[in-house]
Amino acid sequence: MVDRREKIIGEDRILFEQVWKTGKGFYITVSILGALVLLGLYAYVTQYRNGLTVTGLSRQIFWGVYITNFVFFIGISHAGTFISAVLRVLKAEWRRPISRLSELTTVFILMFGVGSVLIDLGRPDRMLYAIRYANFRSPLLWDVCSITMYLTVSSICLYLALIPDIALLRDLGGKREWFYRILSLGWTGMENQHRRLEKSINFMSILVIPVMITVHTVVSFVFAMTIQPLWHSAIFGPYFVVGAIFSGVASVIVVMAVLRKAYHLKNYIKPVHFNNIGIFLMAMTLLWFYFTFAENITIVYGNEPVHMAIFWSKLTGKFAPLFWLHFTLCFVIPLPILAVKKFRTIRGTVVASISIIIGMWLERFVIIVPTLTKQRMPVEGAFYIPTWVEWSILAGCISLFILLYTLFTKVFPIVPIWEIREGREKAITTVSQRIQSYLPEQDALDSKIS
Amino acid sequence: MEFDRRGFLKIAGLTVLGLAAKPGWELFSKVEPQELVPSPETLAKKRWAMSVDLKKCWSIEGCRDCIDACHRIHNVPDLGTLKEEIKWVWTAPYENVFPEHELEYSEEDYRHQPVPLLCNHCDDPPCVRYCPTRATWKREDGIVMMDFHRCIGCRYCMAGCPYGSRSFNWRDPRPFIKKINLEFPTRTRGVVEKCNFCEERLSRDLLPACVEACKEKALAFGDLRDPESKVRKALQSKNVFQRQPELGTKPKVYYIL
Repeated sequence: MVDRREKIIGEDRILFEQVWKTGKGFYITVSILGALVLLGLYAYVTQYRNGLTVTGLSRQIFWGVYITNFVFFIGISHAGTFISAVLRVLKAEWRRPISRLSELTTVFILMFGVGSVLIDLGRPDRMLYAIRYANFRSPLLWDVCSITMYLTVSSICLYLALIPDIALLRDLGGKREWFYRILSLGWTGMENQHRRLEKSINFMSILVIPVMITVHTVVSFVFAMTIQPLWHSAIFGPYFVVGAIFSGVASVIVVMAVLRKAYHLKNYIKPVHFNNIGIFLMAMTLLWFYFTFAENITIVYGNEPVHMAIFWSKLTGKFAPLFWLHFTLCFVIPLPILAVKKFRTIRGTVVASISIIIGMWLERFVIIVPTLTKQRMPVEGAFYIPTWVEWSILAGCISLFILLYTLFTKVFPIVPIWEIREGREKAITTVSQRIQSYLPEQDALDSKIS
Repeated sequence: MEFDRRGFLKIAGLTVLGLAAKPGWELFSKVEPQELVPSPETLAKKRWAMSVDLKKCWSIEGCRDCIDACHRIHNVPDLGTLKEEIKWVWTAPYENVFPEHELEYSEEDYRHQPVPLLCNHCDDPPCVRYCPTRATWKREDGIVMMDFHRCIGCRYCMAGCPYGSRSFNWRDPRPFIKKINLEFPTRTRGVVEKCNFCEERLSRDLLPACVEACKEKALAFGDLRDPESKVRKALQSKNVFQRQPELGTKPKVYYIL
């Protein structure tokens, strides 16, 4: 019995221990997160009983923190697919240890994106009217369709790649065996099962990429389809998608660093992973800057009064501190860190990523709020200071996300064990064969010379 | 068929889930009573519109008769703050409403004069496109309607309206209504509202309350399809304009100067 267990565990003991061993740190984290979730819940109950009057929102600025959260959370969800699906399709071998943790980020944070819109509703008790009386001319319905599709597809991706690991846990036996037995769907690890799994994962990975792009495109359409100054912009679709991948990849770096520390994954999540994603993040930083520049230069040169009024309120007016802070956090700080090899360490990429995450939240805020201050006509009473309710709900959402994530790691391994093993056992031969196939063929060369 | 404890629990669980689906669906999308509306044929014959003669309007300084009349009969609450203000008819300075009319060397200075504003009941109303639940729609006679019982309070129509004609009930409005008019519904918190061209009065052959309340006869109302209507007569005047016609919404509130 012991022998069989040892054989299953093999060299990857640490990956199983993450599920079994629960230390003091876990309970402390869970209680702190639990407290913050309760605070968020209390804030929501307050809002539910008194109405949205408890927020800082007003007749003029009727969308604020909640809608910012909606765009922001859905943006973060783009990382998982990007890292796991895109790297899988590109056959990047180094993706193996980080594919699941990024897929999980996607699935969990996406729920909070949806939740943020529901929190923002004046009559949450009528939310299903959006389905019952659906108006498909409304971009909000496009969001409903696209996000539902994305949540489904990315949950399937996550689950498919979990099956072999669930089977490992089932084979180890123990109290929760029945649970793993149901979820493992009779996985035995036979060659034909592996082939089928590989096929379905590859199919889902290709399917999820276009779905991901539609998601943030239609999120941006909520704004771009209106005729409000600075929202009505054709660049918004791609601009939001780029921003989404930008903030999402940054979040994955932070998640990687936290898990690496908490679960002693130094051997699996290595500096090379941070370096590789760091280079990609640098490319995204530059791409983000390019889009921001293209968006703003068009407005300035056009010099239309309704647009310029909002534009100047961002650059020099009352939103200037937020605008320049977000620009610093999204570009000025991360770029040099990510560009210089010496700084592109684990610590360096994490600092850059945190900066980007905060900066991207602010970016969503300075896209949404300034336009509402004077839509097409200067008005009185355009002020907005978020209240404790809004901040508590934001804190509660983030805490619940981390809490769910933590609980997940107590049930399933966060590093895909079977993928690591596959890499260890098969990848070296497949990759070297692949490289061989890139090279000019020796025979053909020889015959040419002779 | 074998029927052990596990099987029983499975079936019992599924049954409970199945039974809960319908009430759950009802709970979050319960059907509320519909209001009566005139038949489409009678409506299609008309196209309601309003004109505002600004010179007449400005002849009494600080007059609020139209606003008060409208807000009184429609149970519009007075919350006393700009933050949660609800307004169906209101005023804004001329220079803000018509910035495109700014003439640097104009003889008459009416930049600071108040212009009465209300829902424009556009021919192509953007708000109707944005509403995810079709709680706002355009009637055959052009009135842009609002169903307070179907609105989910997402406020997308407010983002869509380029004229700022819509207000949201941030809190329960009822305590802030001075005297409730029992002939018109009050609203709950969490829904959007706006001017309805007094469709409830039109159906009883009455003029809109604001038009009736205006002593100077600055407001004219009527059917655009009827050449003899007051509004068509008023539109014969030389200097007629609309708010932001360049947006293609075709507003049906005209201003005359």
